[in-house]
Amino acid sequence: MKTYKLPKDKFPNFINFLSNKGNLYGPVKQKDQHSFEQVNEYSEMDFNYQRTILGIKKFLTPPRYITQKFDSESVEDIFPQSETNIVLGIHPCDIHAVKILDKLFLDNIKDPYYESRRNNLILVGHSCLPDKNCICQSTGTDIVEDGFDLFLTELENHYLVWVGSSKGLYLIASAENLFSEDITKEDIAEYIRWQKSRSEMFETSIPFKYMPDIIHLNYDSDVWDEFGDKCLSCGVCSLVCPTCNCFNVEDKIVMSADKGVRERMLDSCTLPGYSLVAGGHDFRPNRTQRIKLYYTHKLKEYIGKWGQPACVGCGRCVSYCPVDINVVTISQALFSDVYEEMVCDNNE
Amino acid sequence: MWSREHKPIVGVFGFSGCAGDQLAILHMEDALVDFFTSADIKFFHMAQSHQEVPEVDIALVEGSINTSKQLEELKEIRQKAKIVVSLGTCACYGGIQYLGSNEDVFKERMEYVYGKEGKNPEFLDLIGQPQAAEPISKYIKVDVMIPGCPIAPENFIPIYTKLISGLIPQKYPYPVCVECKFKDNDCFLLKGKYCLGPVTAAGCDAICPSIDVSCVGCFGPYEGSNYPSMIDKLMEIGLTEEEAKRKLRMFGGDVLEKNLDGDN
Repeated sequence: MKTYKLPKDKFPNFINFLSNKGNLYGPVKQKDQHSFEQVNEYSEMDFNYQRTILGIKKFLTPPRYITQKFDSESVEDIFPQSETNIVLGIHPCDIHAVKILDKLFLDNIKDPYYESRRNNLILVGHSCLPDKNCICQSTGTDIVEDGFDLFLTELENHYLVWVGSSKGLYLIASAENLFSEDITKEDIAEYIRWQKSRSEMFETSIPFKYMPDIIHLNYDSDVWDEFGDKCLSCGVCSLVCPTCNCFNVEDKIVMSADKGVRERMLDSCTLPGYSLVAGGHDFRPNRTQRIKLYYTHKLKEYIGKWGQPACVGCGRCVSYCPVDINVVTISQALFSDVYEEMVCDNNE
Repeated sequence: MWSREHKPIVGVFGFSGCAGDQLAILHMEDALVDFFTSADIKFFHMAQSHQEVPEVDIALVEGSINTSKQLEELKEIRQKAKIVVSLGTCACYGGIQYLGSNEDVFKERMEYVYGKEGKNPEFLDLIGQPQAAEPISKYIKVDVMIPGCPIAPENFIPIYTKLISGLIPQKYPYPVCVECKFKDNDCFLLKGKYCLGPVTAAGCDAICPSIDVSCVGCFGPYEGSNYPSMIDKLMEIGLTEEEAKRKLRMFGGDVLEKNLDGDN
């Protein structure tokens, strides 16, 4: 992996240069909230943001998209146009989330609709500082070593630019005069100090490494009923979760003719009807069962299948659940009296 | 491969309400020609002169039932229709007028308007005896519900086209919050403002929250609603219990009546 140095005042130039290489997307402030939106230039973006509501899954498994069109004779797959979409300002947690989605959609059986979107995507990461809802340090996803094309760490006067792929290297190589390879001892020292001060800024910590076992032991605990009583079944936790990707499939028919489209829509396991099967049986008719499914799948079952839990500590569930059910309150409830001790232990 | 077998006969019927759902159909300008050519529209209360109720494959029924004559006509529609669809929140749940459906409230208001002797004006012979507003499902079997105040074309069209194609529309309940998050919208409840998104059926594409207006629940109740927790949440942001319940009842009709167990 190569690293470069980009003076801060050259960053807008680099972004303007990137706008000739593909469609640009970046964090845009809208009212009180940031979201990844298409932009034309540097000034439209705000890199000093905490989190967007929807993460990068917005580009990979969009909330609603058409996968096929059909008529009475034939079925045809619909893929997005082949083009380059460059997403800027992605935090480490969101890059970890894309790595998890990549495993799921591309490792065993490739999902062609995901793959076509993924191939169009160039990920440009950006360093961040945590707020009280960030728990990526506990989940071990506060630093990212791969999965991006470029990653920019913002220091006092310049960015350190990490190259993660040949696509990323190509972007740098074609704007060569903006970058230097002259990384000094002072730069390295500054980077280390920055990392250290960042790691000391985390306010919230959860005993994440013990979670799988504790969830297992608590499988029949009353704790789940308490959350079930409170849960609004609104689906927000999983819709904002950057690794949640379940979708529902629906056919939409055109009114005037015998043809239509097949659409995928983001789904949520906390909604009633998620576990309803043909014949009318619902495996999880109540909220307690559904909230338990959500957290056991995310924090425990996922490990068995994919080698790691599906939480990247982005803090979206902490920030956006209207009734305060999230990975922090769940772990507090499951660990109960020993929570504080375990938090300390996890951080050592 | 699938194809339509025949052109179905459709009737659009209207009872008590603002007629906004029939109007919403007539306002679907891009789809209007398709609407009138893809099925044989034998009856359309708002668009045609009144006539006898015909035999239809699909009856789209708008409005709540407020008089004895409406009730007779509703029963006739059920007999003559293969599929009955309740169109709009009034037909599905009783609508705003359901707020006056409590027996005492209804009696009091009748007396207030028409006098204690209960003397009804002559036109009541024409429309029948008034009765408290009820959703059509109170009296007849309803096959499909398409709520909305008014209905949203993007929700109505996919369901309707399945029906005229002889397919069964998929009923998958989810609240406004789902569509709201699809649009990257911030949450009112988290900012301390009331919003009924979590207890309201989706279908509107979160149109109000997307222009910074709280959801008032016009698509009627979401099947997965957790009312006690919602009331707690509304009280947490400063509403009294009574105010919270009043907001829930506004478009909640008979469903909220059952769920709030008759309290105020």
